[in-house]
Amino acid sequence: MTISTTVSSTISSPATSPATALQLEGICRRIGARTILEDLDLTVSPGECLALLGPSGCGKSSTLRLISGLDSPDRGRILLGQRDITALPPARRQVAMVFQSYALYPHLSVARNLSLGMEIRGVDGATIARDLNAVLELLQLGELRQRRPADLSGGQRQRVALARALLRRPQLFLLDEPMSNLDAQLREELRPQLRAILCGGGAPVVYVTHDQQEAMGIADRIAVLDAGRLQQCGTSRELYHRPATLFVAQFIGRPQINVLQEPDGSLLAVRPEHLQAVEEGGVQVRVVSREWQGASQQLQLDTPRGPLRWVCDGGRTIGDTVRIAWEPRHEHRFAAGGGRRLTP
Amino acid sequence: MGERRRSLLVGVALIGPALLVLLLVFLWLMASYLWLSFHAQNLFTDLQPVPVGMLNWRRLVLDARFWQDAAQTLRFALVSVSMELGLGLAMALLLNQRWRGRGLVRSLTLLPWALPTTVMALGWRWIFNDPSGPINGVIGGLTGSTVPFLASPSLAWLAVVLADVWKTTPFVALLLLAGLQMIPADLYEALALEGGNARQALLRITLPLLRPYLLLVLLFRLAQALGVFDLIVVLTGGGPASSTESVAGYAYLNAMRFLDFGYSATVMIGMFAVLLLLGGVLLLVLRRPARFQP
Repeated sequence: MTISTTVSSTISSPATSPATALQLEGICRRIGARTILEDLDLTVSPGECLALLGPSGCGKSSTLRLISGLDSPDRGRILLGQRDITALPPARRQVAMVFQSYALYPHLSVARNLSLGMEIRGVDGATIARDLNAVLELLQLGELRQRRPADLSGGQRQRVALARALLRRPQLFLLDEPMSNLDAQLREELRPQLRAILCGGGAPVVYVTHDQQEAMGIADRIAVLDAGRLQQCGTSRELYHRPATLFVAQFIGRPQINVLQEPDGSLLAVRPEHLQAVEEGGVQVRVVSREWQGASQQLQLDTPRGPLRWVCDGGRTIGDTVRIAWEPRHEHRFAAGGGRRLTP
Repeated sequence: MGERRRSLLVGVALIGPALLVLLLVFLWLMASYLWLSFHAQNLFTDLQPVPVGMLNWRRLVLDARFWQDAAQTLRFALVSVSMELGLGLAMALLLNQRWRGRGLVRSLTLLPWALPTTVMALGWRWIFNDPSGPINGVIGGLTGSTVPFLASPSLAWLAVVLADVWKTTPFVALLLLAGLQMIPADLYEALALEGGNARQALLRITLPLLRPYLLLVLLFRLAQALGVFDLIVVLTGGGPASSTESVAGYAYLNAMRFLDFGYSATVMIGMFAVLLLLGGVLLLVLRRPARFQP
């Protein structure tokens, strides 16, 4: 399956001004007494794909709704290019959104679903026909143009929703968990496609997901949110190698990072894949359980300081004792209270 | 095979009782009326049915009062039902928005519908009373003369329409509100993000998706309005000069005042045939409802 870049470039709009494409400044959002977002600052560069990653209820979808204008922040500013769009209604923001539910118009065919937006924006008939055909070809929807959404599979619906967003020619794409209604295999298949279509240097993308694999596979940078607060924003390498908080350390990487309590109350974290067997020194441990995973195996270790997870390449069985250690550069130290990073 | 037969049997057993009741009270009744329409049963036959062939039907075709009543009934139904649909839709749209006190207003709007027709018709008869009703109280105070709402053929039917609209608009609004709440909110959000305004949302999303509900309400209300009886009996008694008389009222008159049961049955069956035809056409249109995503 190849994506024609020429067709793609006729559909996606040129990037906005240099420097930053989207900027959130001190965004706060409350519903009643509940704080949804607390003092959120974020920037997205032109052509960049930023993933908002976090557990459900962390505020990532709320952030998307604020950027789209479907909700209004209680405090803070949203800048799209040079424009302050904080008070602008959704219709005038030039932002396209792919909804988690896809939100396709159930009474209209695929073709009408796609052309409706252009019609109400007053695009002329010839342009509508041309863009419609281009996007139908790009997303391989030509055969389905007369079908109703109810007669499409999940993956096809997602493509229609994506096509509709492309036809908006937005300054910014917003995607709200666009893969969550698809099965795992389809998700992996579609990831590179989605990246090729959206993150090809046109308008920037803000992509909401709770799946770290998806975020790492699609985004240039990832913003991790927890309980309405931005934990860290950086590339997946940065998040993996230098997590800014204990939450990020535990959220990124599978199996989950090992956390040990230090005598001074601070926390020491080491990834299961960074433990090594050593001849002498280190800690004496005993293997208590084993999960064979093909290329590697995941062991549960019993140590004087508590249980540890270890990913290694085989040769150990339950009951074995072994000495393990890790290189100092793989140690992460976090403060006791908020879990802030202590090691440089 | 056995599976399918068993589910068929269960189905028949489940709808059986309801079907039986329908057959008894409806089909049997209609069949006996149809039979009666080919008989004379009146004071001249000592109230015994005497076969007369097509005589009643020939009389119906030539009966100017029947056709006048049919036209009046149709006019009443078309005007009141279209007003009810328009106002009911507006009310439903309003009640579907979020505002303070919406729950209270939702309950209050249902009050006219909950009132028995005869009670509310009596109320309207007093409101329209000439000269002592409240409307004429205002008009009289302003102009010095009063308006004979219920005694003027050109105004009386409008008074009937007004009372009917007042009573049934809440019912229409309630059904349409149920339809509105079936429309997912994210469709409106998607349209707004595509640059759509409120008017476009109404025309492109709300009305097309509400269509099955609009047709359903139309069917309900037209059937009800074409059979209008109690409201008119209490409000105007069919007058003045039978200018507000409905077909159902005429059938009642023939049976209960002129004791001409054969002809009354003919009027009823004639009206039923028209209703059946109308319902059939509407149901044909109804059969293609807009489909929602699962």
